[in-house]
Amino acid sequence: MKRAISINLGGIVFNIDDDAYRELQAYLTQIESCFSDREESKEIMNDIEVRIAELFNERITDYKKVITSKDVNDIIDVMGGPEQFGETEKESTYKQRERFGPSGYRRMYRDPDSRILGGVCSGMSAYWRIDPIILRILFVIAFLGFGTGLIIYIILWIVLPEAKTKAQKLEMMGEKVNVSNIGKAFKEEFNNVKKNMNL
Amino acid sequence: MNLDNTKAQMKKGVLEYCIFAILSKDSRYTSDIIQELKEAKVIVVEGTLYPLLTRQKNAGLLSYRWEESTQGPPRKYYELTDKGKSFLKELDNSWNDLVKAVSLIRNKKQTPEKQK
Repeated sequence: MKRAISINLGGIVFNIDDDAYRELQAYLTQIESCFSDREESKEIMNDIEVRIAELFNERITDYKKVITSKDVNDIIDVMGGPEQFGETEKESTYKQRERFGPSGYRRMYRDPDSRILGGVCSGMSAYWRIDPIILRILFVIAFLGFGTGLIIYIILWIVLPEAKTKAQKLEMMGEKVNVSNIGKAFKEEFNNVKKNMNL
Repeated sequence: MNLDNTKAQMKKGVLEYCIFAILSKDSRYTSDIIQELKEAKVIVVEGTLYPLLTRQKNAGLLSYRWEESTQGPPRKYYELTDKGKSFLKELDNSWNDLVKAVSLIRNKKQTPEKQK
């Protein structure tokens, strides 16, 4: 069971899964940051939202009444990533901002791909950009010392969501959620599997 | 990768021209413009269109009106302005010149080596 919320997208109300909503919000925020002119950006974002609402409408039926993460990812494929929206004269200023700021919307997840137990330490380390071994040592000490480490770990295991989709994994690393990054993530995973199977 | 980049740049260059060409025949909805560009394989993703259409409108080359729709939110119905029509004529000439130039370069015969 998941939590779903209502959104107003381009004037239409949709029911959308909570995680799908966050991915959609991250995507729209990134797109919006591509445009520096405030007035123009409002108009463009409105057009884009209306278009996404149109696309969502096509997916809602009597049997499927909620927008899911898959829908959002499909829509991102159709619309394209931030680099597709890149401006011509202003492209250079956007690239400059990339250099100075964190590249994406960052969330704390559990990392299912590099976990020992529940991926708690991996996920939290990704959020703070530190080496997971630091947190792991701290937890072991806390567990041996007071036993409270175990309780805290279990609480975090329950509370932190697992990063299942490619978009979530990118959010966890603070990477931009766009088509080319998602493609890169799939390719890396494919190559890892190949390596592990010695193909 | 570089080849894809170059190809993408070529398409990006003619995208504006294609939009004017589409609208020169008839006024169209945004989604129709996107559909035709996709069919002609000039674009793969839709995102590029929205900022482009808005900028052309703000530059006075296009104008739109809202049309109500029973199936969803109201839609923009674009058409070329007079300024847009003369812009298109200029681009027509520019395109013809470009095609001629590339043909010339591609078909240029090699000068024979001088016999000693």
